[in-house]
Amino acid sequence: MKRHGHWLEKLLPSPSEDQTTGTGITRGYKYFSRGLSVILLVMVLVPLTLISFLSHYQYESLLQEEEMAQLVLNLEGGQSTIEAFISELQSVVKFVARDDRYEELLDPRELEAFFVRLQNEYPGFADIEIIDSEGTQQAYFGPYTLPEHNYSDQTWYKEVLVHGVHISNVFSGFRRVPHFVIAVSREHPHKKGHWVLRVTIDGKTLQNFIDTINTSYADDMFLVDAECIVQTQPQKYGKIGEKCILKIEEDIAANKSSKIAKKQDVVGENSMGMLIVKKTFYGQEITHAVVDLLDTPWKLVLVKEQYLYAETWLLFKIKLITMFLTCVIVSVFVILEISTAITNHLRESDNKRQRLYSEAEHTNKLASIGRLAAGVAHEINNPLSIINQKTGLVQDLMEFTDDFEHKDVMAEAHESIQNSVNRCKTITHRLLGFARQTDVQVEEIDINVVLREVVDFLAKEAMYNQIKIGFDLGEDVSKIVSDRGPLQQVFLNITNNAIDAIGDHGMITLSSTQIAPDTIQVKIIDDGPGMPEEVRKRIFEPFFTTKETGKGTGLGLSITYGLVKKLGGDIKVTTEVGKGTTFEITLPVQQSK
Amino acid sequence: MIKSKVLIIDDEIEFASTLCQRLKLRGMAAVDVHSGTEGIASLPKMNPGIIILDLKMPDMNGIDVLEKIKEYDPSIEVIMLTGHGSSGSGMEAKEKGAFDYAMKPLDITELLSAIEAADNKRSKA
Repeated sequence: MKRHGHWLEKLLPSPSEDQTTGTGITRGYKYFSRGLSVILLVMVLVPLTLISFLSHYQYESLLQEEEMAQLVLNLEGGQSTIEAFISELQSVVKFVARDDRYEELLDPRELEAFFVRLQNEYPGFADIEIIDSEGTQQAYFGPYTLPEHNYSDQTWYKEVLVHGVHISNVFSGFRRVPHFVIAVSREHPHKKGHWVLRVTIDGKTLQNFIDTINTSYADDMFLVDAECIVQTQPQKYGKIGEKCILKIEEDIAANKSSKIAKKQDVVGENSMGMLIVKKTFYGQEITHAVVDLLDTPWKLVLVKEQYLYAETWLLFKIKLITMFLTCVIVSVFVILEISTAITNHLRESDNKRQRLYSEAEHTNKLASIGRLAAGVAHEINNPLSIINQKTGLVQDLMEFTDDFEHKDVMAEAHESIQNSVNRCKTITHRLLGFARQTDVQVEEIDINVVLREVVDFLAKEAMYNQIKIGFDLGEDVSKIVSDRGPLQQVFLNITNNAIDAIGDHGMITLSSTQIAPDTIQVKIIDDGPGMPEEVRKRIFEPFFTTKETGKGTGLGLSITYGLVKKLGGDIKVTTEVGKGTTFEITLPVQQSK
Repeated sequence: MIKSKVLIIDDEIEFASTLCQRLKLRGMAAVDVHSGTEGIASLPKMNPGIIILDLKMPDMNGIDVLEKIKEYDPSIEVIMLTGHGSSGSGMEAKEKGAFDYAMKPLDITELLSAIEAADNKRSKA
């Protein structure tokens, strides 16, 4: 897999970023943490939101379908019942008006007898009249006298002649009570043309019937005519004889022109010719359905104020929202925790790796310089031995020979050569000491005693330079198992350096503390000139020295560093220019193998 | 007065010959050879009592030469010469039967006292 340029790589903090200040890398981890959180949140919240919306709409449409089915079922019931009722009334009227009964019905007594029998069965029948083929009333029985009235120019009369039957709208007329009319036409028995039987039925009959069939499901049920004038008294939505306040005519017009009357309205017509409209009526969400009643001028209107499943729907929405919010809160919390933990883990391992890398680099550097030093020392040692022997031989010869001219000068010169050889010997000895892998000889040591011994050794030199050496030794510091020789060398080197750094007039403090049950710490604090940062970084490097040429080998502190590490400890230095320097040496109580 | 014959085995010719001269000046019977093989080969002819043996030589390791010498004649006393900082090797040689060791660059008085001690040991035996 090609890893460079991978999108995730851009998110990961690069360990090569600015490490001297650490700000760059900190920003990198913050960026990574944020990026990771955002990715995880998107991965969790997007599907969650989608599923929630989907179930919301799915359940809503399911409930709506159920609701519609209920509405259609109720409307169908009402429609078929009313149609059956009207059809029954029609049949009765048609039965009375048999073709051959014209003459019979013209007889007022016969008409009365018929009417009374009719009224016994259907108390809503208000009056009955017979009209001849010219449109003139020939017989009448009822509460009103309408003698010889001619209907020939009236619309209903023309219609009944064409269609054979006519049902009128509900109207008050001169009776001043709502009523409607059923008229049937029959062929005249003796002449060309049709005679007509017309009965008036009390509007209350229709009203009672509607009231009977109206179930508790519907909030209102009533009839309207073609112009949407209300035909039976609604419980809430309008008044009889007036225009329907639900503006059904607009819905019908909209349905015909396939336009929606108002924005919030839903208009639709199902396969059985039912018009179902959902709208907001004075802040109340209602659904009403309208259907034409067969063979009548009326339409049946059914109003449902609220969803049947309003409560179920509300409960579902509450549950859904609660679940959604809980999921969101929990995921946000968990994701933030996870990304913080991952980032911290990453940061720690990066730091650890960086630390190990620098340590390995330093150790490596020391090791290679050590090998180089050892090689150089060995190479120089051989010619040095020869010089040593040759000088020795010359000295021997002079010793075994009598006096001669310049013998003293020559002896002096040889002495000087011998001294130089000895100096070289010391240097090679140190170089080899730096590289040598000495076996550690362990014993139980009181660190405070070692520190006092070291100071005793340097007391004179410090005294000459007016440097005071003080102690701050912990009484309860446990004895450590370590190698005395290297320990002395470590403290001697550092204290010696402190004396050199101060020059004259100053103070050195040696302290010992138990910092953990298995670790002790020794601090060597001086109030010398301190070191700038670039010097501090390099002081443990071999051959790095700030002393004058010839005065320091630059090996002291790097040997010290190697010794502390070999003893299983650690050494740190803090310094400030003008204030002084502190060396902190931590040592294990028990040496690990 | 040193009675034993002294054999110097060191690949550094200048060093070996100079040391040989210095020992002769002090009245000792000293001979120098310049490799381990040569040293072992010369044992029957020279018949040395004390051998000054360099630890590091190109043809043969000083320790191996020491072992051969001790195989040939355990009464021969060997003084090992080691480089500075190789006291560990000196100790090892002592364990393998060397009488003593001295570090290069050599301090003549140190070597002389070691030779004297070895000679004393031989005369007592």
